[in-house]
Amino acid sequence: MSVCVQVLFFGATAGVVGQRSVYKRFPEDITANKAFDEILDEFPALTQHKLLYSINQRYAVGTELLHDGDELAVFTAVSGG
Amino acid sequence: MDFVELTNEAIDVGEAARRIVPAQCGATVTLDGYVRKYTRGLETLYLVYEAYEPMAIKEMLKLVEHAREKFDISHAGIIHRLGKLEIGETSVVISVAAPHRKAAFAACEWLIVELKRTVPIWKKEVYSDGEEWIEGESSIENSQSS
Repeated sequence: MSVCVQVLFFGATAGVVGQRSVYKRFPEDITANKAFDEILDEFPALTQHKLLYSINQRYAVGTELLHDGDELAVFTAVSGG
Repeated sequence: MDFVELTNEAIDVGEAARRIVPAQCGATVTLDGYVRKYTRGLETLYLVYEAYEPMAIKEMLKLVEHAREKFDISHAGIIHRLGKLEIGETSVVISVAAPHRKAAFAACEWLIVELKRTVPIWKKEVYSDGEEWIEGESSIENSQSS
């Protein structure tokens, strides 16, 4: 079994990856930080940035289990205001 | 009467401020944050703001809620502009109404500090010879894997 997760990128991370949204399949019971690490493996240029990530529009702790249909966003430290 | 909004249109600061003038209050403090021409000695031509919109709305709502717990205020509102902004255009408005002005000033300052730290919005500075997404100095805990 596996779960399908939508991965979103914004601003600098969208530029690095060249896409704003990709769908990724992960093994069932994968944690958020493990999924995040896999994304960095796939797009190593991201590691040159200070990154934050969220699960379902909340900042991730890292231990969350991912479920089918979850939304994971990877972005740089915010700079609004 | 609290409000949080993202908009691609120019923000009417006065209108935003006057949305919160409850009868039990005596002061509304409003921050008008706008696009600066010179940053770190570089001349900016214009800015582009982008947001993770649904999460940004949720984070702004949390900030307003926390501000009401933390300070003796009645209402607060935040509007952030997105898209291309020219020099001098308003990028963010924060209005806070309180019975007494001191709490409103303190809450308004706290809200802009927290907004810049937590709300998923990013600015791109465009110069005559290039452009750069600005990365903040976020100190959000537990959000990056080891």
